[in-house]
Amino acid sequence: MLFNSFSFLIFLPLVCILYYMLPHKFRWLLLLLSSCYFYMAFVPLYILILGFTIVVDYFAGIYIENSTGKRRKAFLVCSLIANIGVLAVFKYFNFINENLTSLMQSVGLVNQVPYLSILLPIGLSFHTFQAMSYTIEVYRGHQKAERHFGIYSLYVMFFPQLVAGPIERPQNILHQFYEKHAFDYHNIVEGARLILWGFFMKVVVADRLAIYVNVLFDYPDLHNGTSLMVAAIFFTFQIYCDFAGYSKIAVGSARILGFDLMNNFERPFFSKSPSEFWKRWHISLSTWFRDYLYIPLGGNKVPLARNCVNLAFTFTISGLWHGASWNFIIWGFLNGLYIVVDRLVNPLTKKWRNAASYGLLFRIGGRLLTFWLISLAFVFFRAKSLDYALIIITKIFTSVGELYIPSPAQLIFSLLAITILMLSEFQAEFMQSKYAFFRSSNMLVRNIAYIVVIFLIMLIGVFDGGQFIYFQF
Amino acid sequence: MTKNKVAYLIFRIVLLMFIIAALDFTSGKILEYYYFKQNSGLQYRTTYSMDTAKTDILVFGSSRANHHYVPEFFGGDTMSFYNTGRDANYILYNTAVLKSVLKRYTPTLVILDFDVTYLNKRQENYDRLSSLLPYYKSHEEIREIVETRSPYEKIKLMSYTYPFNSMILTIAAGNMETNKERKQDDRGYVAFRGKWPKDLDTMVFREVIDDTLVRAFESFVTSAKNAGSQLVVVVSPLFYKYEQTKSIEIAKQVCEKHGVQFLDYSHDSTFLSDRNLFDDLAHMNDDGARIFSKMLSKKLIVKKKTGL
Repeated sequence: MLFNSFSFLIFLPLVCILYYMLPHKFRWLLLLLSSCYFYMAFVPLYILILGFTIVVDYFAGIYIENSTGKRRKAFLVCSLIANIGVLAVFKYFNFINENLTSLMQSVGLVNQVPYLSILLPIGLSFHTFQAMSYTIEVYRGHQKAERHFGIYSLYVMFFPQLVAGPIERPQNILHQFYEKHAFDYHNIVEGARLILWGFFMKVVVADRLAIYVNVLFDYPDLHNGTSLMVAAIFFTFQIYCDFAGYSKIAVGSARILGFDLMNNFERPFFSKSPSEFWKRWHISLSTWFRDYLYIPLGGNKVPLARNCVNLAFTFTISGLWHGASWNFIIWGFLNGLYIVVDRLVNPLTKKWRNAASYGLLFRIGGRLLTFWLISLAFVFFRAKSLDYALIIITKIFTSVGELYIPSPAQLIFSLLAITILMLSEFQAEFMQSKYAFFRSSNMLVRNIAYIVVIFLIMLIGVFDGGQFIYFQF
Repeated sequence: MTKNKVAYLIFRIVLLMFIIAALDFTSGKILEYYYFKQNSGLQYRTTYSMDTAKTDILVFGSSRANHHYVPEFFGGDTMSFYNTGRDANYILYNTAVLKSVLKRYTPTLVILDFDVTYLNKRQENYDRLSSLLPYYKSHEEIREIVETRSPYEKIKLMSYTYPFNSMILTIAAGNMETNKERKQDDRGYVAFRGKWPKDLDTMVFREVIDDTLVRAFESFVTSAKNAGSQLVVVVSPLFYKYEQTKSIEIAKQVCEKHGVQFLDYSHDSTFLSDRNLFDDLAHMNDDGARIFSKMLSKKLIVKKKTGL
């Protein structure tokens, strides 16, 4: 079920009403059944895959807790193999096979392994990573193994964050399923606010920008570098609003039910460096890779050269996590490269950055440069193929021309949407509670803000924008 | 205490919904008023096609229809002509517009420009029905088609603003003094002036036929035939060669079944790969459109005379 669908507008209130009407002891069952229904609205059969990983990790957790030494490690490895195995089959098999075929062809051999004709289960990478974090945390002794099979299933399947995160840690969410969440007016209002702003980000900003982005990225050879540069910038805003919008709806839906999910985005476009950007962008995934890959590799407690390799490797794997294609791998590697360069350059510029006269210049320039570098990397993320990405990047730097404007109205709506978004982000970044219309102490201001946003969604929102980009991962 | 809070929440939700409903009604009515006050532009041409046009010859189709059929070549002095083709609006739109037209009068000749992938399953076919939302409430005959947009379309259309979603700027432009004369069309026809710069090999389309579109096409054919209009289905020229598509095969079968003439110019050597006659891969420029319109009108006159 899509968050931006009419079905969800009926589903969520219904679940909330039933949730608060039911006695506490039955609530987990309602949430589990609702989550199953939510997931099965995509491809019903794929719930079996989810069921497989749930069963494996549930027992793995208990066995890990009850074992010591090598056996303990063996159970963890089994669980990781099962999870990564599912990912490998459904997400990476054809990619590996395709590259193997090319490699074998280059030395005159024929690859006989057939391609799998299967659809990628929605949100597979998200719930697999959430499941993996459970067994790892149990292994590390940070989390007790969950004995209640229903509650553990809910940990993996909780519908607000099932298909596109935030990727939660068991320590943050598991205990919340046992807590009795009384009806809380403030939670409901706060959740509704988050959902409303999430919808705004998705249908007014992301889906509007997608109209221009799709045309330019699908036919880059027909357009000049100026138009492609605008499309690249628009895509950076689009993907942010698509994913952060989703995350806000997820966190808001959970909040209405009394649950606290982690914040996934922290106004990333105000980052002064790529390193800062990745501390503010898709936080739940960045911290997952930090905790379960980067730090085990030695993190920054190793010599500088090794540290740089660790960073580049972690980001490349993060790229691969997003999708089985060279585009995503290059996207990940590029971001890793940015961080490495940032790490190397950072100590050299520290003196200037802190100097009063240059400080402001560095802050503004750093933000603009970071945004531009991130936008360039996102070209690989969005382009249909590596060839297309290279065409776009080359044209951006070599071909200047008249901006392609298929419809002035579209462009005006796009710029208006970006302006509203950035004003809101600016306010949250620099002004704290001042001018926070949604949180104004004046009830009239607050309500006018809600109505204006709802009205903007109705008036200029794109209602046939389709699914969220991150659902495919 | 909780009961009070629940009651307060319900009160707030009801109040908010009431305000939004009032706002929705007011803005919807204002937008509706100005939408139908326009006298130029795409939206006006749809209104004109559905509510006003009473010409002998009507052309239907998407952008390829709109930019390929030059009025001066059709009908001569005796028959009037209007081109209802609209950019990015396909068979569902064409069928809906025809149904509205037939409710008012019966055109003598109906030409449907059929694209080579017209029956291919694409979400765009349904999304673009947004062009018809402003007519949903007043045109009962198009409702069934508009409702194919989504299972909840009927509920969404209870809103007064929704039919005019994302149209505010175009409506405003259509009502400003300076834009009232933004008439680029000649009886619906809009000329393209560019020249296509590139060569291209044969295109291969991988189609998944959409049954709803096939039904809409058949409905278009039977509606025109039953009303007594002469119908011709035409595939206008393309820049590129392509391998036979399922859409064309089905269209031919349907036309044969209902005794409708099917004219295919998509591989006509006069046009194929001639960069001077095309604005882009799928659209001829004015020069190409004139040659094609002349060619087609001659063929239609010959057919009328000989009955072949």
